Amino acid sequence: MTPVASLSPGMILAGAVTAAAASLWLLLPRGAENRLARWLGLVLGAAALAGFIVTGRRLGGLGEEAVFLVVSLVAVISGAATIVTRSPVYSAIWFALALAGVAGVLLVLGAQFLGVATIVVYAGAILVMFLFVLMLAQPSGLASYDRVSNEPLLSAVAGAVLLGLLSLTIGRLSADPTCCAVPAKSDAVTGGDGERKSAVPAAADPLAADQVARLGGELFGRHLLAVEVAGVLLLVALIGAIAVVARGEAALEDDRRLAAGGARR
Amino acid sequence: MQQVSPATLLVLVPLLPLVGAVLTLLLGRRLRSQAHLPAIAGIAAAAAVAVVLLLGTAAQVGRPDGIHAEPVRPVEMISTLWQWATVDGAYTPPPGSAASIPGTAVGGTAGASRAFSIPVALRLDPLTATLLAIITCIGLVVAVYSIGYMHHDPGYPRFFAVFSLFVFSMSMLVAASNFLIVYVFWEAVGACSYLLIGFWFRKPEAARAAKKAFLVNRVGDFGLAIATFLLWMTYGTLDFHDTLSPDGTILPGILGQTRLADSSGIVGGAVGTAICLCLLLAACGKSAQLPLHVWLPDAMEGPTPASALIHAATMVTAGIYLVARTAPLFVACPGALTAVSIVGATTALVAALIATVQNDLKRVLAYSTISQLGYMFASLGTGTLLGFTAAIFHLVTHAFFKALLFLGAGSVMHSMGNVIDMRRFGGLYRIMPVTAATFLVGALALAGVAPFSGFFSKDEILASLHGKGWPHAHGEHHDAAPASSHAATTPPLHLVGLRTSATEPRAVDRRALIGDGSASGAVGWLDGLDTPATWQVLFWMALLTAGLTAFYTFRAVFMTFTGPARVPEEAGHHAHESPPVMAVPLMILAVPSAIAGWWLFSTQWLSHFLSATPSFTAPAVATTAAPHTFHMDLAIQGSLAAAIGIVIAAIGHLGRRSDGPQMERFLGPLHTFFANRCYIDQLYSGLFVRPLEALALVAALFDRHVIDRLVNGVARLPVALGGVVRLLQVGLLQRYALAGVMGVLTIVLALAWRLRG
Amino acid sequence: MMPLVAAGSTAVLHNALLVGAILFALGLVGILTRRNLIVMFLSAELMLQGISVSLVAWSRHHGDFGGQVLVIFVLTVAACEAAVALVFVLQAFARTGRLDAAAWQELREATLARTVDHALPASDAVPPRWPRLSTAGVVPPGADESPLEREHV
Repeated sequence: MTPVASLSPGMILAGAVTAAAASLWLLLPRGAENRLARWLGLVLGAAALAGFIVTGRRLGGLGEEAVFLVVSLVAVISGAATIVTRSPVYSAIWFALALAGVAGVLLVLGAQFLGVATIVVYAGAILVMFLFVLMLAQPSGLASYDRVSNEPLLSAVAGAVLLGLLSLTIGRLSADPTCCAVPAKSDAVTGGDGERKSAVPAAADPLAADQVARLGGELFGRHLLAVEVAGVLLLVALIGAIAVVARGEAALEDDRRLAAGGARR
Repeated sequence: MQQVSPATLLVLVPLLPLVGAVLTLLLGRRLRSQAHLPAIAGIAAAAAVAVVLLLGTAAQVGRPDGIHAEPVRPVEMISTLWQWATVDGAYTPPPGSAASIPGTAVGGTAGASRAFSIPVALRLDPLTATLLAIITCIGLVVAVYSIGYMHHDPGYPRFFAVFSLFVFSMSMLVAASNFLIVYVFWEAVGACSYLLIGFWFRKPEAARAAKKAFLVNRVGDFGLAIATFLLWMTYGTLDFHDTLSPDGTILPGILGQTRLADSSGIVGGAVGTAICLCLLLAACGKSAQLPLHVWLPDAMEGPTPASALIHAATMVTAGIYLVARTAPLFVACPGALTAVSIVGATTALVAALIATVQNDLKRVLAYSTISQLGYMFASLGTGTLLGFTAAIFHLVTHAFFKALLFLGAGSVMHSMGNVIDMRRFGGLYRIMPVTAATFLVGALALAGVAPFSGFFSKDEILASLHGKGWPHAHGEHHDAAPASSHAATTPPLHLVGLRTSATEPRAVDRRALIGDGSASGAVGWLDGLDTPATWQVLFWMALLTAGLTAFYTFRAVFMTFTGPARVPEEAGHHAHESPPVMAVPLMILAVPSAIAGWWLFSTQWLSHFLSATPSFTAPAVATTAAPHTFHMDLAIQGSLAAAIGIVIAAIGHLGRRSDGPQMERFLGPLHTFFANRCYIDQLYSGLFVRPLEALALVAALFDRHVIDRLVNGVARLPVALGGVVRLLQVGLLQRYALAGVMGVLTIVLALAWRLRG
Repeated sequence: MMPLVAAGSTAVLHNALLVGAILFALGLVGILTRRNLIVMFLSAELMLQGISVSLVAWSRHHGDFGGQVLVIFVLTVAACEAAVALVFVLQAFARTGRLDAAAWQELREATLARTVDHALPASDAVPPRWPRLSTAGVVPPGADESPLEREHV
């Protein structure tokens, strides 16, 4: 593809972003079902993805590239599908798939604990909560508000601008040799110079056996206070949720009582 | 008395009524029926101080010594309170101008620039002392009268506050020693007059009358303003008195003694005549002379005490004061002098004619005032010392008897339930004997019956006019004086370190005083009017007016007080004599109306006293001094005229019902002409008032439809913009979030654009 | 074992950041666009996922655990937020009977009218019927539970 290869990365990126925005606009629910719009959106979306892949950097070998490409494609496509499908239950399921993709990306990046934690906490707990609420509150069939979007064009343009800015910045960042210079770190696994120094190589080597342990050590070492606060935060959220529900119930009771002509308690 | 300096006393005279006015304004609501106390206290104290000053000044002048008196030295005291305005380098006198007296070294070198300096300076000289005493004493009497007259009026405190403010303004006017200060208080008395005429402002006629008075006065004020500008340009200063400049030279004031001592100090010719005519215009406005007399009859809508004070005794005499004060300027322009007399005499005659057919007692007195003021102007215009002092003499006596007549009319009005149309009541001498007696005294004085005060002052005026018309009739020379003239040339002692100017007397010919020597065009024509023939005509006009005066005065007296007793229904149970608080002032005023003229004339005190005024000690004026004699032939002529007038009035009205048709039958078609005031009001209405109203209508329409629309349109712009912006607030949170995101992206884009590269 | 790319290389950073940015942008568009409250929250979680990927990428690039620790806390806070938010969603549903973000318009200008959707064609209101399995086995004892069944999702 000589015409494509002659374009600068910046222009390819710009084209990809524009195509992504157009495809999102076409795919978002806009009232009446339009098959042509859907197909066109899908095609443009594929083109956008191709553009992004082209502007990505070459990783070390084909293997790494393939794995990273697959998991990131899963994440991105599922993410797009999450926001585009009409049915909120499908949206939740696509979101689960997106979580799987993200977990894959995290694993490829060497964050073993986080990759698993994503699946466990997000897909296992949070997503299930969403599904419970859907079960309680979703009307049967597609509600009208699921078939219409709020300002799809402007939002797609805003997203496109944001994505363009971010990718430009990322491109600049990685092209600048002086940026993000990582200080030379010694490979000494044996500690002796202090905890900080010994933590560095462990993180640099995600295949080390005690990587998770070291993460834990970092967490409960340097960030102990934050961990405790996070625990309290969870407790507070729990109590708060219960309190709001309880008060909400009482308010609803009062409303019903008033509607029936009684006095507010 | 030694501890208190005359300067302090002089400041007290206007200050005390001002304090009274302020106190009345502040405390009036609280004091209610006692609201007159601060004002009366202030005016009474001022009157006492003014009398003290008068006596002190008289002591300085000395007593008259008989026919061959020593020349009178000018008596003058200047007290500068503070410097109001100074603009450095505002005036550079052209070489040879009157700013520095030509031919002398007084006034600094030509070409040196002077500052525009307005000191708030008060002066005390015989003229001022006389007028201050008149203003405050008559003001006191009228104020006491007002306690009774205004008793039930809801605006009681306001009346006394404005009254007191008026006394302050008038005192400052006659005591000021700078033309700009005079202008300020000229306007101030006009404003107080407006407030007093329009006192009952809810009455439309009163509001209209007040507006008319103010606007007509404004025309006169314009004259004073132009005169002030011309004086500044000609003389380089606006002070009356001489001042010392910072480098030690004397800056001669316009009427300062160094200037007056020098025969070429006053500018004549075209500029001088213009100045004098502008001053005459101002005087006509304030003193209600033709053609600016139209406001005074309408001003009778105000309360009678106000009319008594300001429209009889004091404010309308401000014009007389101005011309008398600037006598040297007028004397240098014979044409202007003649114009003054012509205006005065004409006004006197026309006003007397109109007064003969008026049925409203106060209107009769108003036209009578205009007529008597015309007399005073006629006398001022003769330009002789006799003429000037006769005018002031008449001013003094007129103040007494006219105030008396007005207060008497007020007394009548008070008992007749505010009815003042003479045809509706009659025979009141039975009901109100005190009022009738004092009114009769005043009427006799006004008619000029001997030995009441009006007789002597009118006689002097006739004498001055006669002397101009027949210069050799009595063997006296009224202009060119022998070489041994004792014109006062020595400067007063209070200017320390003064180099005396030329002391040898000069033969004074009035014509020599014309500064630039040219008398062409209109000025020449005016000057050419100064012939004995003109003065003879004016004399006969004055004599005729004397007869008419007696006629209409006694017509009013007979219609009101004689005949069958009739009382209008509005009187109700009011038809009785006035309470003592009103009757006693009448009796107080009757005394000087009766004897002041005789006393002042026989002792020659007033004319001797006034001749010490610096304006009258100028050689041009002082050399016209003649020994005062009693001119028997003129006295007989005047008395005959008065007697004829009284007899005709008695034939027509004595003892008859006052609503008879005598005047209409007698005058026929002339009656309508005079009753409509010679149609002058209608003329002015067509010439000035209607076009102005049309212009005002145009302006109002423009304001309403163009300017208001424009302003409202501008005001509607934000509303419209808001209306557009308001459409964005739909309550949909996602839209708000979208707007926020777009805003953030815009900012980031802008930053990124700036930081690119 | 596949050798992992050396820490400190910018290629991984670039790609991972790109993925994170795409996920973030998708989540943003979803929040701004979709009106179903649940889908809005799913989009918010999607944004958080993008953030997590970026943080871990930086952590990998620098070679320390800082980013990963932060992602753990993000996870925690996301969980709390989801819990409380869903309580509010249910309250909102109880008031209005809809999971619609556009049901709440009371803070608009007093002179403006409520924004209502134009009528949508009914054709796609109802998704196609799903195949049903034939009944098998024994009908359990008890009442007919058909009212409790939902045919569609």
